[in-house]
Amino acid sequence: MENDTICAISTPIGTGGISIVRMSGSNALAIAFKIFSSKNVSQESIKPRYFYLGNIHTADVNEKCMMVYFKAPYSYTGEDLVEFQCHGGVLVTQKVLQSLIESGARIAQGGEFTKRAFVNGKLSLDEAEGVIDVINAESESELKASYGLLKGNLHKEVEKLQNIITDILSEINVTFDFPENDDEEVTSADVLEKLTRAQKTLDHIIKTSTTGLKLKTGTKVVIVGKPNVGKSSVMNAMLGTDRAIVTSIQGTTRDVLEETYIYKGVKFNLIDTAGLHDSNDLVESIGINKAKEILKNADIVLFVVDGSQELDNFDKDIIKLLNDKKVIVVVNKCDLKQKINSSILPHAEHMECSALENKGITEIKDKIYNMVIDEKVLSQNVIITNIRHAEALSKSNEIILRVITDLQAGANLELVSLNLQSAWETLGLITGVSGTEEIIANIFSKFCVGK
Amino acid sequence: MKIKGYDAIVIGSGHAGCESALALARKGISTLLLTLNLDSIAFLACNPSIGGTAKGQLVSEIDALGGQMGINADKATIQRRMLNSSKGAAVQSLRVQADKIMYHTYMKETLENTPNLTIKQAEASDIIVKSGTVKSIKTAQGEEYECKVAVLCTGVYLKSRIIIGEFTKNEGPNGFSNATYLTKSLLKNGFKLMRFKTGTPVRIHSDSINYNILEVQKGEDNIQTFSYTTKRAPKNVADCYLTYTTPVTHKIILDNLDKAPMYSGIIKGEGPRYCPSIETKVVRFSDKERHQLFLEPESMSTKEVYVQGLSTSMPVDIQKQMVHSVIGLENAHIMRDAYAIEYDCIDPTQLYPTLESKKVKGLYFAGQINGTSGYEEAAAQGLIAGINAAQHVLNAEQLVLKRSDAYIGVLIDDLVTKGTNEPYRMMTSRAEHRLHLRQDNADLRLTEIGKKYGLIDKNRYNLYQKKLKQIDLLYSMIDDKYGTKSKMAELFKSKNESFSTNGLTVREALKRSSITIDDILEIVPELSTFPYDVLKEVEIQVKYEGYLARQQKQIEQAQRNENTLIPKSIDYNKIKGLRIEARQKLDTIKPMNLGQASRISGVSPADIAVLTVYLKLNGKNL
Repeated sequence: MENDTICAISTPIGTGGISIVRMSGSNALAIAFKIFSSKNVSQESIKPRYFYLGNIHTADVNEKCMMVYFKAPYSYTGEDLVEFQCHGGVLVTQKVLQSLIESGARIAQGGEFTKRAFVNGKLSLDEAEGVIDVINAESESELKASYGLLKGNLHKEVEKLQNIITDILSEINVTFDFPENDDEEVTSADVLEKLTRAQKTLDHIIKTSTTGLKLKTGTKVVIVGKPNVGKSSVMNAMLGTDRAIVTSIQGTTRDVLEETYIYKGVKFNLIDTAGLHDSNDLVESIGINKAKEILKNADIVLFVVDGSQELDNFDKDIIKLLNDKKVIVVVNKCDLKQKINSSILPHAEHMECSALENKGITEIKDKIYNMVIDEKVLSQNVIITNIRHAEALSKSNEIILRVITDLQAGANLELVSLNLQSAWETLGLITGVSGTEEIIANIFSKFCVGK
Repeated sequence: MKIKGYDAIVIGSGHAGCESALALARKGISTLLLTLNLDSIAFLACNPSIGGTAKGQLVSEIDALGGQMGINADKATIQRRMLNSSKGAAVQSLRVQADKIMYHTYMKETLENTPNLTIKQAEASDIIVKSGTVKSIKTAQGEEYECKVAVLCTGVYLKSRIIIGEFTKNEGPNGFSNATYLTKSLLKNGFKLMRFKTGTPVRIHSDSINYNILEVQKGEDNIQTFSYTTKRAPKNVADCYLTYTTPVTHKIILDNLDKAPMYSGIIKGEGPRYCPSIETKVVRFSDKERHQLFLEPESMSTKEVYVQGLSTSMPVDIQKQMVHSVIGLENAHIMRDAYAIEYDCIDPTQLYPTLESKKVKGLYFAGQINGTSGYEEAAAQGLIAGINAAQHVLNAEQLVLKRSDAYIGVLIDDLVTKGTNEPYRMMTSRAEHRLHLRQDNADLRLTEIGKKYGLIDKNRYNLYQKKLKQIDLLYSMIDDKYGTKSKMAELFKSKNESFSTNGLTVREALKRSSITIDDILEIVPELSTFPYDVLKEVEIQVKYEGYLARQQKQIEQAQRNENTLIPKSIDYNKIKGLRIEARQKLDTIKPMNLGQASRISGVSPADIAVLTVYLKLNGKNL
């Protein structure tokens, strides 16, 4: 049944200006002309990759739209593919889709377009995973990283690393296979030296991976502070016009409000402990454990204090929770007379602001941005936005670090080469050398309809 | 008049042919062994040695499966050494100097005394195939033998030609005559042939060597034998010597390069990278001041000495100058000249992993005709082809060893999946599971399989079971504490190993890299009632425990693809999404399972993914 014709709405559901309905399969063109007519073109005369203006008219649709046809194999899926660009709106596009189904297409399953593209050899494993990221990309930086992956930059970098290890492995193995060879045998010291260099490269790639994943999921910025220091005002000021989608978070953290803003193309999730205002005792109101839990997942903590008052025991309780965290101390209400005894504040960056007068807010956002995003990293093409890649890299890094330790402890090269071999194979997971079955299953379960 | 009465015909009596014929006959198949020359049975045409890195493993595997090479090599051993003994268990390999005359004699004797086996000197000239199945073999002498299966083990004899400078002659190794007819028959039957090249150095008279100025290389005692049936280990009765080329040697070669057939264009065949002629070495590694040479005695009953490392196809006068420029060989008398030899072989991707050809049913191929190099590689294939040819006659299941079972599995999988463009030599680097594929555990890995395929007799099987029991018994004892506490503690201390007083067991001691089983035997004498191989086995297993467990996990992961079979009826042209190159390759190789498919060059992970999806969707209907 790989050739039946599938269709789906490819644009996000909502009220955009234009919606795209896409159809792929051997009957795509025939089905299209059952509902589409134009005085300019017929099923016989249609040219691939030209836009045609016409009408979709069925029992309950009469809609002006554009149609474009991609002939197999020169399409995204590698099959005959038709796209309709019609007016946006849930109702209209749903009806167009309904007509296509009544004319012989069936609704696509999640990820099915990309699955077909993949099965038809249009995408490599790496690229297919890159596509998932493109689908999910919500901000510019993330998109940039995704496209980098599509072009195979990661593949190239990992291949380079693999080649270094290939070299080391061959130098070791030659001593096993040709023991009577009188060339100087590679020593543990040589291997150690080369491997240490390789590990540095790997380390660098992995560092970028953290950033990449942050770009993808958004950086968690948690706002804490006792009641009435102006947490909500700070949050609102920061969201300002950059405010994005409002999400309410389910489950144990339902007391917590999370909103997203995009700054310089990077996504930040701002989390306010909004539900915690009622009690005067923070520790009592949520329990020390819950507070810790919220803070545990924070990438950055904004500790808001009131500059016009002295710090009290409540502030001190919060300070105790901030050990080992990346903290920015936001001294709010800088427009008022300052009474704060800043000597007991944590050793962290202090930013003064007035949420009320919108003073110092941009500086805070810049500070957060710089703490997360290494500009150098962003300007490079290799950014890892995929958890599987990041995992493979850190696993091989782990193995290589173990090999380095083994070598330093005087392990024999035979075992070293075996471990290196598995590091090599782990890197191969990124380039698609092995482990196909599991990856495919994973990819297809992750795909959304359309691109 | 066709001659009836033989179910199987083996063509060629080299190392592949002998194993093949013995396996067939021992499995009760009435077998005819055709050979160009009875005096060339199991002839060691090049090195007078068996084993070496990875090859030693092959020999032990052949032995565990019920083959002959290990037994024969043990009997003919005149010197033995364990290579890589300082480098860890997995890469250790036994290498012996074999008496080439005795090796031939013992093997011939074995063949002659094997029931169901008939040996005949005659040149096979034509393979008669009807409706895709082998029917009979014709000889140049004018006879025709009917058969159900045939195994082709022609070695380097197919249309072979030797080359010494400008002198060339259509003959086989060592002046034996070559096989002139079979090439035509193979082409007629649609086989794709290749032309490979190899070579052999001079043999010199022992009395003309100045041993006094050379470094001697002695054999080692107390090391394992190839066969686990060998009761008394052979003695080291011969020595090898180490010498070097000189700047003069290199000058002679460079001055006369225009006379080297390798460079003048006379030789066209593909030579092996790992066994280059001395002229190749000197040209390619010009910064090397000297090249190492080994002097190896050929037999206790001849004065001929083999000069390892001095392979050449230079004219004889240059050869003489070269030899005389080597340290210790100033007055050496060359008894046999070095020569290069070219020969026809088949592209092994025309075979299934059973070594049966895809084109002709019942026709098996083994040995150098499949593009390999080396006695051990040949014998390993001969054994498998023999077993499978017999299974074919018996209409029983074919034997395919996995890459995780044996080096033999790696060898055959590589050959039939990837093919080769030079004579293929086994190496430890080729085996991804080499920690598991050790020489010491070949019997533990393969005896059960050997038994299933009918080549393990009661005696061998009992030996194997006894070993298993002893290993179990030893395991039950190593967690106990032996001797006085202080002795074990002393041992740890003397080796600078850390310990806790409640961990002073044999197992804990063996886990330490610097403590060996020999150290332990000294303070725990009650363990010396165990055979040494059992002690060694447990030592290795304990020492490598973590690594072995990890390897086992990898093997199990690999098994999933190996166990996804691809039906023979699959039509790759019907699978959308396979790239054209992959489609063609898959159709040519006809892999038996997804694992094999994934190893074909030109088949990408994406293609495998497509194939996986296709098999999942359509597997049941194929």
